[in-house]
Amino acid sequence: MVQKDERTRLRPWKSIPRYRARLEGGILLHPERPPRDSHDAIFIVALPRGSPVLRMMERVSTGVEGLDAMLRGGLLPRRPYVVSGPTGSGKTILGIHFLLAGLRRREPCLLVTMDEPPFEIKSNMGTFGWNIDRLKILDATPDVRAHKRTRSVIDIGTTMDVRDMEDVQGMRQSSQIKALEVTVHSVQKMIKQEFANRLERTKEPYERIVIDSLTALKMFSMQGEDSRILIQSFMRFLAELEATTVIVSEHLNMREIETEFFLSRGEIRLHKWLDGNVIRRAISIEKFSGSSFDDRIRPLTIGNAGIVVFPNAQASFRTEDTNLRVGESFLESRIIEDVSNVLDAVLRSIDEAHRRQVPVKDVEVALSRAMVHFQRRHYQKALKQALACDSQLKQRLGEVPPPPPPQPTTPPKPPEDQR
Amino acid sequence: MNGPIKIRTGIQGLDKMLHGGLVPGRPYIVSGPPGAGKTILSIQYLREGLEGGERCLFVAIESPPNELKINMRPFRWNLDDLDVLDANSDIRRFEPTPILEISTETEPIKMRALDERIRKTPDFESHEVTVHSLQQLLKNLFVKRKYERVVIDSITALKYFCMKEFEEVLTTQSFMRFLTEAGVTSLLTLELPEEGDVPPEAFLARGEIRLHKLRDETGIKRFVSIEKYKGSSHEEFVHPFEITNQGLVVNANASAAPSRGV
Repeated sequence: MVQKDERTRLRPWKSIPRYRARLEGGILLHPERPPRDSHDAIFIVALPRGSPVLRMMERVSTGVEGLDAMLRGGLLPRRPYVVSGPTGSGKTILGIHFLLAGLRRREPCLLVTMDEPPFEIKSNMGTFGWNIDRLKILDATPDVRAHKRTRSVIDIGTTMDVRDMEDVQGMRQSSQIKALEVTVHSVQKMIKQEFANRLERTKEPYERIVIDSLTALKMFSMQGEDSRILIQSFMRFLAELEATTVIVSEHLNMREIETEFFLSRGEIRLHKWLDGNVIRRAISIEKFSGSSFDDRIRPLTIGNAGIVVFPNAQASFRTEDTNLRVGESFLESRIIEDVSNVLDAVLRSIDEAHRRQVPVKDVEVALSRAMVHFQRRHYQKALKQALACDSQLKQRLGEVPPPPPPQPTTPPKPPEDQR
Repeated sequence: MNGPIKIRTGIQGLDKMLHGGLVPGRPYIVSGPPGAGKTILSIQYLREGLEGGERCLFVAIESPPNELKINMRPFRWNLDDLDVLDANSDIRRFEPTPILEISTETEPIKMRALDERIRKTPDFESHEVTVHSLQQLLKNLFVKRKYERVVIDSITALKYFCMKEFEEVLTTQSFMRFLTEAGVTSLLTLELPEEGDVPPEAFLARGEIRLHKLRDETGIKRFVSIEKYKGSSHEEFVHPFEITNQGLVVNANASAAPSRGV
C-alpha cells in the first residue's frame, strides 16, 4: 500500500530512524517501538485527508455491528445498495439503523418514505427508544387520489415536504383542492431540490439516504411507463448524488431479474421463516461489488435494541417460505414421499440415458436444482422441477431408438439420493 | 485432433474446461445471477489480452466505470491500457423534447485516465444511449482501431435500457452479428434470474459460460459450467470456482455436482 522508500525499509529496531518519513502523496510514516520480544517493526501511517489510499479503505457503517463485520467493515461509500426481504423482515428497521449511525457521526441523513407516513415511522421507531429527531424526512406518500374528470394527474413536485423528524405530527392531510400524485420524476425532483437547498444552506451534502421503498414506488408511481428505464435512471441519479444510498425493495418475483437488483452495487437480504411456531430471522449478503464479504447466512434478532446480527453463529437455515403451518405436517410427509418417488424415477432414467449415451447434462443440472429445492423444503418447486426433468428424459429417451448394447463408457455422475 | 486456433480466457481452469480457450472472432455469453462474478471474469479475459499486447475495450452499460476501477483495485491487475467506454445512460430528463442520442464525442478512455468520481449528467443536454447509437459508436471505433477483445457489460442492461421500441431478441441478435462482423472476440455478460428460465439471449451466442451461485450452510458455493460451445469440444461437468485475490480460480480437476452442496 505504501511506496517503498529508502528510509522506511524494515531494519532492526535500533537502526530505525527517529524521524518521520514523508512519502509520496503526503503520507507520513513514523516508527514506533515494538513490544519487547517482537521482531516486527511498527509504523504509524498518517494519511492526508482525501488521499486515494484512505478513500480506498473508507467504509460506511450500517449501524448494525454484526452486519458491518459481515461486510468487512461496512458499505463502500457513495454507491446505491439494496436491502431486500419479505414483509415484516425488518427492512425499514435496518434502514433506520443505517441512518442512526450517520446521525451519531453528525452526518446529514435523509429518509424518503413512500410506504408509511412519517408519523408512523416515528412512533414505530420510538419503541426502540431511538432519537431520530435530527433526521430529515421527505414524505413522498401519495395523497388520496382525487378522481376528477378533467385531469387527475398532478405532480407533487410543487410542494416540497422535507421536515425534521422532530416536527412530524399526525397524518398529513391530503390537500382538498389539489391532489398530488407521486411519480418517479416528482420524487427525483424533490430529492434534487432538497440537495440543492441543503447545499445552499449548510454546504454539507447529505451523506446517507434511505429510500423506503422502491417497491411502493414501482407499484404506485410507474403506471404506463417503462419501469426498467425509469429505475435505471433513478439509480443513476442516486449514484450521481454521491451519497451512500440504501434502497428498500421487496423481491417479489425470483423468476425475473429486477432492475434494482442487478444495478445495485450490493444486496443485503433479510430472511424470515416459520419454524414450528417460532419466527426465525436471518440475514445474508448476496452481492457486494468491490469487496470480499461473509457469504454465510447469519441469524438475526429484532429486540429492544433493534436489529442484532450474530456474525459468528450458524443460522439453522431452512427456508423463508415453506408456507407450513401447524397441522400441515401430514400433508408435508405426503408431498415428501411424492417428490422423492419422482426423484428416484428421474435418477433411474438418467442412468438409463447414460447407458444409451443420450446427452442429459442439462437435465442433470435441472435435477440438482430440484434437489436443492427439496433440501430447502420447497417441496412444491422441487416436485415441479422433478416432473419437468422426468418428462424431458422420457421425451429424449423416446426420441433416440434404444441401442441395446449397454456401454458403460461414461461413468454417470452419481447424484446422491438425499433423503 | 486439430481444432481451430484458440485464445486464452485468462483463467487457467476455464481454459482447460474450454479445451484450450475461445475460438476467436465470435461473441460469447457469460451468464449468472447478480453477484456471481461475471464482471471479474470478463476483466480477467481483457487482462489476458492486455498482457499479450492486444487492444481491449470494455463497454460499461450497467455500472459506472469509476466504480469498476475502484472495485478491481484489490486484485492489483495492471489495467492501465484498457480502453473503457462509458455507455451508461444519463439521468433521464422528463421533458417533452425528443430524446437525444449519445453524443459522438464519447470516446473510450484509458483506465489510467479514468476519474474516480462518478461522471455527472450535464445539466442542459442529456444523452440517452440506445442500441442503435451504441452500435454506430462502436462501428466508428472499430474502423479507427483494431480491437481484439471486447466486453459488453451487460447485455441485460443493453436490453432493458437501450432497446426501447425495438424488438429485443431480434435486436440482440443483430448486435451480436455486428460484433461478429467486426471480427472481435467478445464476451457479453448476461444476468440470470435466481430461479426460472434462461433469457433467450443465451441461445444466440456461439458459446455460453454459466456461473452458478448456490447457498448452503457453509456459505455461497460457486460453480461454472460450459452450457454451449460451438465449434469445439468442451468439458461437460460443472466445476467449482472461487473468487480469490487472484480473481476467479476454477478448479478444473474437481468435478462437483452442485447437487451435493446443499
